[in-house]
Amino acid sequence: MAAGIELTGLTKRFGHGVTSHAAVDNIDLSVSGGEFFSLLGPSGCGKTTTLRLIAGFEEPTAGRILLDGADVSHVPPHKRNVNTVFQSYALFPFLSVFDNVAFGLKHTGVTKAEQRQRVGDALALVSMDSFASRRPSQLSGGQQQRVALARALVLNPAVLLLDEPLGALDAKLRRSLKVELKALQERVGITFIYVTHDQEEALTMSDRIAVMNAGRIAQIGTPQEVYESPADAYVADFLGAANLLQVVVAERARGAASTLKLGEVALLTSNEVPAEPGAAGQAVIRPERVRVEEHGSAGQNRVPALIDRVVYLGAATQVHLRLATGESVQAVVPNEDAAGLSQGTPVHAYLPADALRVLAGDAEPAPADAEAAVAS
Amino acid sequence: MTATNTASTQATPQAPVQGARRPFWRNPWRHPWFLEGFTWLYLIWSLVPIVIAVLFSFNNGRSQSSWQGFSWRWYFTDHTNSVLHNPQLHAAVIQTFRLSVLVTIIAVPLGVAFALGINRWRGPIPMTFNFVMILSYVVPELIFGVSMFILFTTLFSTVHLGTLAEVLGLVTWNVSWPAIVVQARLVTMGRQYEEAAADLGANQFQVMRRVMVPLLAPAIFASAVLVFSGVIDDFVIVDLLSSSAGNTPMSVIIYSTQHGGNGGPALNALGSIMLAMSLIIVILGYVGYRLLTRGERGSGLAALTAISGES
Repeated sequence: MAAGIELTGLTKRFGHGVTSHAAVDNIDLSVSGGEFFSLLGPSGCGKTTTLRLIAGFEEPTAGRILLDGADVSHVPPHKRNVNTVFQSYALFPFLSVFDNVAFGLKHTGVTKAEQRQRVGDALALVSMDSFASRRPSQLSGGQQQRVALARALVLNPAVLLLDEPLGALDAKLRRSLKVELKALQERVGITFIYVTHDQEEALTMSDRIAVMNAGRIAQIGTPQEVYESPADAYVADFLGAANLLQVVVAERARGAASTLKLGEVALLTSNEVPAEPGAAGQAVIRPERVRVEEHGSAGQNRVPALIDRVVYLGAATQVHLRLATGESVQAVVPNEDAAGLSQGTPVHAYLPADALRVLAGDAEPAPADAEAAVAS
Repeated sequence: MTATNTASTQATPQAPVQGARRPFWRNPWRHPWFLEGFTWLYLIWSLVPIVIAVLFSFNNGRSQSSWQGFSWRWYFTDHTNSVLHNPQLHAAVIQTFRLSVLVTIIAVPLGVAFALGINRWRGPIPMTFNFVMILSYVVPELIFGVSMFILFTTLFSTVHLGTLAEVLGLVTWNVSWPAIVVQARLVTMGRQYEEAAADLGANQFQVMRRVMVPLLAPAIFASAVLVFSGVIDDFVIVDLLSSSAGNTPMSVIIYSTQHGGNGGPALNALGSIMLAMSLIIVILGYVGYRLLTRGERGSGLAALTAISGES
C-alpha cells in the first residue's frame, strides 16, 4: 500500500513577468514507501506550496510529481490517491464527526455497511469512536485534529500529507500528539509527508528531513545527520541553537584531527574539514556540547572565557560566555554544574574536538552540499 | 517619598468621601442616563406614529384621526371598501406578494452565481463587476427607475410596462444583495472546505452540492429575506414600471391614494398588511438564519446584522 513519491525539477512560480517569484524552485526529492518525511523550514520557504503541489491544489509550473511511479503532475486533486490533514483541520461544520469521516467514502462506491465499518475503525484508530455523533464545533482542537486525521486515513491513501497539523495546539498537547502520530504512522505504514516549521517536531518524528530555504532544499538527511552535520550555517542555525565561530583552517588532515585557528587559539576538530588550509570558514558547535570548566583547567580546545549571563531554563541552565578571543558562545549545562557560576566569573570553555565542525563555505553551490550530506 | 504618599492616601478614610464629592457628570462610572434616555426618546418618536397608523386601521369609522371604536370593517367586513372587497386594494396585496416571490426566485440564484463568479475569477474584470454591484447601493433609485422606464418604453418596447417590466427592474436592482452577502461569506470561508472536499475525492459538481451549498445556505437564505422584504418596501421602481390597477402593488396604491386626499382607514389596513408581511419575513429570516448557522460562533449578532440590514 505504502507508495513512494518522487519530485523531479518541481517548480511553482506565482505571478507574471517581473513580479513573479518561484515559491518552489527546482526541487528534486525522493521519498520511499512507508517513510515519515518532514519538510522543515521557516514560513515562506516553500514547504506548504510543495505539499499543495503534491496534493494537487496547485499545478506545477515545471517539473514532475511521480506517485508510485505514475506521473500525477496534472491530475486533479480528487483523482489523486493522496489525502491531506489541513492546518485548520477544515472539518465540515454542518456534518457530524461520523459524516465528516464518511465524506470521502461516499465517492468510492463502497456499501453502507462497509462505510460504517471503516468509519468506525478509523475513529477507533484515533480514539474518537465515542464522539461520532458530535459536531466539529463541540470538539476541542486536539479532538478536531484526530478527526481530521481519521477522515484522511479512512480512504487508505498512498501518501498522507500533513500541513503543520499540530500548529494550532498548545505545547503540552503537541508533545503527546507527536508521540502518538509517530506510533500511528508506524502502525498504518502509510508514507507521511509532514510540513512543519518546528525543528523539534521534525527531529522527533521523522525518518528523514528536508530543510528548505527560499524554495530550495538546503539539506536532506536523517534527524541525526541534519542536526549533527548541518550542511551550512542556515541549516545549523535553523535546527536549534548553534554557536557559529569564524575560524581559519590551519592544518588539514584526512582521517585525523585537523587544526583550526580561532584568533590566536588553536582548536582541534576530529570532523572532516571541507576547506583548504589557509581558508577562512565557519565552525559550528551546539550549546549542549560546550562545557564550562573551572578557570585554569588545562588541555586541548580550552579557551579562557568570562561569564556574561546565566539563564535558568528549568531543565537546564544556559550560560552566555565571552571568549578571550572576543566571540560570544552559549553553553547549556545541567543545573547542578551551574551552581557556582555567576556573571563575571572567569572560566574555561571546553569545545570538544568531535563537537566542533567546519561548515562548507558559501562558495560551493547549495545542492552539492545537500547531496554531500545525504551521502555521508 | 512617593511610596509613603500613596500609602497614606490609601490609608486615610477621606479618600472615598473625596470621590463622592465629585460632581456626577465628572464621574466616569456613572450610569449612562442621558444616552439611555435619548435611546428611549428615539424609540418612542419612531414607533408611536406607526402604532397609531396601525391602530386606526381598526377604526370603526371613516376617520384616520378620531377613534370611533374597534372593528375589522376595513380589513374584510365592509362589502365595498375593505381591503378584501375593494378590487384595487385586493389586487395590490396580491401583486406585492407575486412580485416578492418572483423577484426572490430569480434574483437569488442569479446573485449567488455572480458571487461565485466574482470570487473565483481573478483580474480587473471581476473587480469592475464587484464595483458595479456596490454601485447599485450608490445610484439613486429614482435615477435607476427612470432609466428602466425609458428602456422599456423606447428601446425594448416589446417589454410593456407591467408585471414583466417590474420583475426585470426589481431583479436588476436587488441582485446585488445575494451577490454581496454570499461573496462576504465566501471570503470569510476561504477555500479550505472546497480543497478538503476535492482532496477527499469530490469532483467540482459534488464539491458544489455537498459542501458549498450547505455552507452558503445561511447567506443565501439571508439574502432571500433581504430581497423579499426589499421588494415589499419598494416604491420608486414599481411606481414607474406599473401600468394599470392590476399590476400596481401596495406601496404605490397607498402613496397615490393618500397623496390624492382620498385616504381612509382602508389604507391604514393596507399599510398594516404590508408591515405585517415585512415583519413576518424578517422574523422568519432571523429564526431560519439561527437554525442554519447553529453551532457557529457569534451567529446571533451575524444574523441580526445580516437580516436587519434592510428593514
